Amino acid sequence: MIRLASFASILLLWAMLAQFSDSRHLPGPLPVLELIYSEARSGELFLALGATLARVAAAFLIAMGLGSALGYLMGRSRTIDEILDPWLVVLLNIPALVVIVLAYIWAGLNEAAAVGAVALNKLPGAMVLAREGARAQDPSLDEMAQVFRLSPQARLRHVVLPQLAPYLAASARSGLALVWKIVLIVELLGRPNGVGFKINLAFQLFDLRLLFAYALPFVAIMLAVEVFLAQPLERHVSRWRLDAPRHRD
Amino acid sequence: MLLDIEIDAKDHVDAAGVARPVLRELKLALARGEAGAVLGPSGCGKTTLLRIIAGLDRNFTGRVALPAHGRLGMVFQEPRLLPWRNVEDNIKIAAPHASAEEIAALLEAFGLAGHARHFPGRLSLGLARRAALARALAIKPDLLLLDEPLVSLDAAMALSLRERIARLIDETHVTTLLVTHDLSEAIALADRIFVLSKPPARVLATLEVATPRRLMTEEARRELTQKAQAALAHGDLI
Repeated sequence: MIRLASFASILLLWAMLAQFSDSRHLPGPLPVLELIYSEARSGELFLALGATLARVAAAFLIAMGLGSALGYLMGRSRTIDEILDPWLVVLLNIPALVVIVLAYIWAGLNEAAAVGAVALNKLPGAMVLAREGARAQDPSLDEMAQVFRLSPQARLRHVVLPQLAPYLAASARSGLALVWKIVLIVELLGRPNGVGFKINLAFQLFDLRLLFAYALPFVAIMLAVEVFLAQPLERHVSRWRLDAPRHRD
Repeated sequence: MLLDIEIDAKDHVDAAGVARPVLRELKLALARGEAGAVLGPSGCGKTTLLRIIAGLDRNFTGRVALPAHGRLGMVFQEPRLLPWRNVEDNIKIAAPHASAEEIAALLEAFGLAGHARHFPGRLSLGLARRAALARALAIKPDLLLLDEPLVSLDAAMALSLRERIARLIDETHVTTLLVTHDLSEAIALADRIFVLSKPPARVLATLEVATPRRLMTEEARRELTQKAQAALAHGDLI
C-alpha cells in the first residue's frame, strides 16, 4: 500500500512539473502514454523491446552462469583464486565503455560483440559474489555430505546451491539492473534496433516524448520481472527460514 | 573384526604451528554386531578418534581397517541436518536407495511421523538428534558412529533416547561405536567399554559387559563402575 502511494506520488510530481515547463523539455504523462500506444499499435515498440530484452537475457545468462561457476571455484580453491584474482581485479576496473568500444573494434559491429561486451561487464560482479558465497559454505555440512557419500549432483543441489542462493539472488538482482543499462549503451553505439537505438534517435531529434515512450515500458518490464519472478522465487527458496521476509503490502 | 584401529600418533597443530599430541598408541577393535563405547574425559580426543574412523581426518599415523565399501552412518554431536530440507527429505537425500516404506517406518520408530514435513529449525535438539539418528540408520550402515548422542539433552529426554538406542542395538544388531564422557551411558549401551586416558589418549582398559543393555543388573553396573573408576585413577597416577 505504502509502495503504491509512493509510486503514485512520482507520477503526480511528474505531471505537476510538466505543467510548469515547456513540453520540449518535459512532456507530461498523457502525451507520453499516447505515443506509447501509437508505437505499440504500429509494432515498432515491441520490436525494439524484444531486441533489447533478448540481448539482456543472453548477456545476463552468460555472465551469471560463467561468473558464478568461476567465482565458486575461486572460493573453494586457493590455487584457482590466485590464478584468477588479477584477472578479476582488471575486469572490475575497466570502464564499461572501454570494453564496448574494444569489442566493436576487434569483433565488428555485430550481435556477438554487443552481447559479449555486456556479459564481460557483469562477469566480475557475479564472480565476486559467488566467491563470497563459496567461502561462506558451512564446513560441517560438507563433512556430513562426505560421510554419507552424497553424489556430486545431490551435493550441488541440496548442500551447495541452497547456501549459495542468497549470494546468487543478490548477484542476479544487481546484475539485471546493470545489464539492461549497459545493453542500452551498446545499442546506442552500434546496433540498428532496440531501445538504445530508439533513444539515440530521440537524442538526435531532441524528442523527449520518444525517449520516454521507449524508456518507460522497459522500466515497467524490469519492474515486473522483479515483482513477479525474482521476489516470489526468493520467498520460495527461503521458506525454511522461520524469520523469512513476510509478504509486504 | 569389523573395525580394527591402531593409531600410532595423532597431533593437533595450533595456529602458531605448535603440535600438541592428542592420540598415542591407541588400539581398539570391534566385532560385527557389537556395540562399543569409548569413554573418556572431555577434550581427550574422542571426537578426533571418530573423525579419523569416519575418514574426515587423514592426518595421522597408524591404520584404520573397515570393511571394504562398508557404509558408514554417523550422528554428529550437532545434528547437521540440512536446514533448508524437511526431515523426510533430509533422510531421503542421505539414503536415496531407501524405500518410502522404510523411511516411514524409521520416522515412526523415532517418533518423528508428525514432523516429517517440518524444517529442522523448528525441531528441538532432542527431535533433531532423533532425525539425525534416523538418517544414519536409513543407509543401513555397516558401522554406526555416535558422537555423544545424549549430551545437552535434559535428563528425561536423555533417558528416553538412551532406551531407544539400546533397543535399536538389541533389535538390529548394527555394529555401533559411540563416544561419551558419561560412564552410566557407556554401561547402559555397550558390550565393550574402552576407557581412554587423559591426552595424549590411549586405551587404559577394555571392559567386557557380560550382561549388556536389557540384561544389565544392579550388581554388574556397580562392578563395571568400580572397574572403570579404578582404570581412570590408575591412568591418573602414571
